Amino acid sequence: MPHIVVCFKWVIDETYLRRAPGGGLDFSSVDYKLSDYDRNAIEEAVRIRTALGGTVTGITVGPPEAAKGVKDALSRGMDAGVFIADPAFVDLDPSQTVSLIAQAVRNHVGPFDLIICGEGSGDLYAQQVGPRLAEALGIDCVAFATQISLEGGTLTAQRRLEGVIEVVTAPLPALVTVLPEINTPRIPGVKDTLMAGKKPVRTLAKGDLGATGGPRLQTLAVRAAAMERACEKFGVEEAEVIRFVDALKKRGVLA
Amino acid sequence: MAVLWIFSETTASTKELLGLGRELISAVGGSITVLMGPDGEGREEWAAYGADEIILLPPLADGLAMEAHIPVIAAAAAEEKPDIILLPATARGREMAPRLAQRLDTGLCSNCVAVRWSGGDIEMDRVVYGGAAIQTVKFLTRPVMATVAPKTFSPPVPEEGRSARLRELPPLAAGTVPGVRIVEKREKRRLARDLTQAKVVVAAGRGLEKKEDLALVEEVASLVGGEVGCTRPLSEELHWLPTELCIGLSGVSVKPDLYIGVGVSGQVQHMTGVRGAKVIAAVNRDENAPIFAQADLGIVGDLYEALPKLITALKK
Ligand SMILES: Cc1cc2nc3c(=O)[nH]c(=O)nc-3n(C[C@H](O)[C@H](O)[C@H](O)COP(=O)(O)OP(=O)(O)OC[C@H]3O[C@@H](n4cnc5c(N)ncnc54)[C@H](O)[C@@H]3O)c2cc1C
Repeated sequence: MPHIVVCFKWVIDETYLRRAPGGGLDFSSVDYKLSDYDRNAIEEAVRIRTALGGTVTGITVGPPEAAKGVKDALSRGMDAGVFIADPAFVDLDPSQTVSLIAQAVRNHVGPFDLIICGEGSGDLYAQQVGPRLAEALGIDCVAFATQISLEGGTLTAQRRLEGVIEVVTAPLPALVTVLPEINTPRIPGVKDTLMAGKKPVRTLAKGDLGATGGPRLQTLAVRAAAMERACEKFGVEEAEVIRFVDALKKRGVLA
Repeated sequence: MAVLWIFSETTASTKELLGLGRELISAVGGSITVLMGPDGEGREEWAAYGADEIILLPPLADGLAMEAHIPVIAAAAAEEKPDIILLPATARGREMAPRLAQRLDTGLCSNCVAVRWSGGDIEMDRVVYGGAAIQTVKFLTRPVMATVAPKTFSPPVPEEGRSARLRELPPLAAGTVPGVRIVEKREKRRLARDLTQAKVVVAAGRGLEKKEDLALVEEVASLVGGEVGCTRPLSEELHWLPTELCIGLSGVSVKPDLYIGVGVSGQVQHMTGVRGAKVIAAVNRDENAPIFAQADLGIVGDLYEALPKLITALKK
């Protein structure tokens, strides 16, 4: 029966980001959430376990506050969690995150058959951790899957590329990243949340793992994207709609 | 002086990367190398578009995917130490680039949308937080690596009479063969027209009650010579329209003269894909819908009332 490892991240909910005066970002009223793409990754792991048996171990890297994310992820059906926690583990370079996860998988998770990652994280969306992790662990990688199945030690995945759908196979253990269309993530109920509190979580501190090396990129600035436009509003009455069409013509965007 | 490598699987993205590459290299001097599959198809063009060298990769065994080139490219890059490696931010590029970066132990800027030199360093911009913000990064390691957002840089104007050196990379002596095998390949139905090239895009959102109502949106689009696009719920959840028509973070970015969102709320993940439109218009019955803060013109009202009137007005 397969042992599936899922990677997930507790991220800033972008809905609450505001533009600060001066063009920066105002994080003062932000809330956090389990990255949307990772909900699909967890759902897929749980779906396979429900069909084939086995266990699902979730793994995340983050500051101590991300413990909420571990509980959220467990409420979605995972069996156990590994939480690599340190106040410094915020906005790590993907290579650093991968170094930590790879060490934890090798030394603290035990043999596994499949690693599932979301296609990217909902905050920085670098889409690097999955493919990099496969290289770090020396296993095969299939990115952007829209359908997966396991049978007799082989992963079969359908993946979506530009203009073509490829069906591929890979020997296990392997890593797959999944697109949101692969499934519809469940919404955990009260019972799921209560059960999540009873599931085992292994917390690993910085000292339990080796060095990660320095960051490979340096962030120089994060600016709010300029989106505001001065909207001229029109009503829905016939005369208003005609005025709307005239306004479009005046701007030269209608022939 | 800088040595820049490009790896891409399609002609269109190779041209765009050559456009960006030439811009970067002309500022500091250096050379551009294009790595490509062993058939070398289309390589005659690359010299005119700015390539100084073409490297042909060794043939892949049957059933192996493009990613199987990774070990050879990584070994060559480790040996020859190019300063910059660019790949397109296509599905293939977004898988291969991080795997190459991991092998080369270097940093990667994913889905870069702008590039510039700043005091001898390369700076790149990328979109973060679902489109709400732009992050600017610089590189602390070499090679500098990036995947480049499609349709962001223009192909260079070809220059006749340029030539490029040609060389072949041998297979790795002790290469391990990857386990991933392609067992089936299906061409996706090509859409008749390309949303990213359209002058007018009319996007249908969740405000539509049923699939048949798309006819209204289609009629508006055809009257203004435009194409229909949609928000993600319509393509991914309701499956009313194909995935290729989803606009936004997980879909395509469009740059039309005019974008009209019909029953579209204006969430950042969608709007990040229409930011490049010259004029943004909206039809929404909720006057507080976020789209109005990001639009130039908007009809506040029920689309089932507004669209028939709009169709009449456009026919005049
Ligand atoms: C990680 C992630 C990635 C995403 N990527 C994308 C993406 O690439 N593209 C994308 O589009 N979305 C994406 N989304 C989803 C996005 O956040 C929004 O949920 C989506 O864009 C909303 O679509 P909508 O505007 O059609 O629907 P809704 O938000 O439901 O809005 C419907 C609007 O229609 C209006 N309306 C209803 N009835 C009428 C009527 N009769 N007349 C006029 N107006 C009416 C309502 O007032 C409302 O404003 C992503 C989300 C996440 C989390």
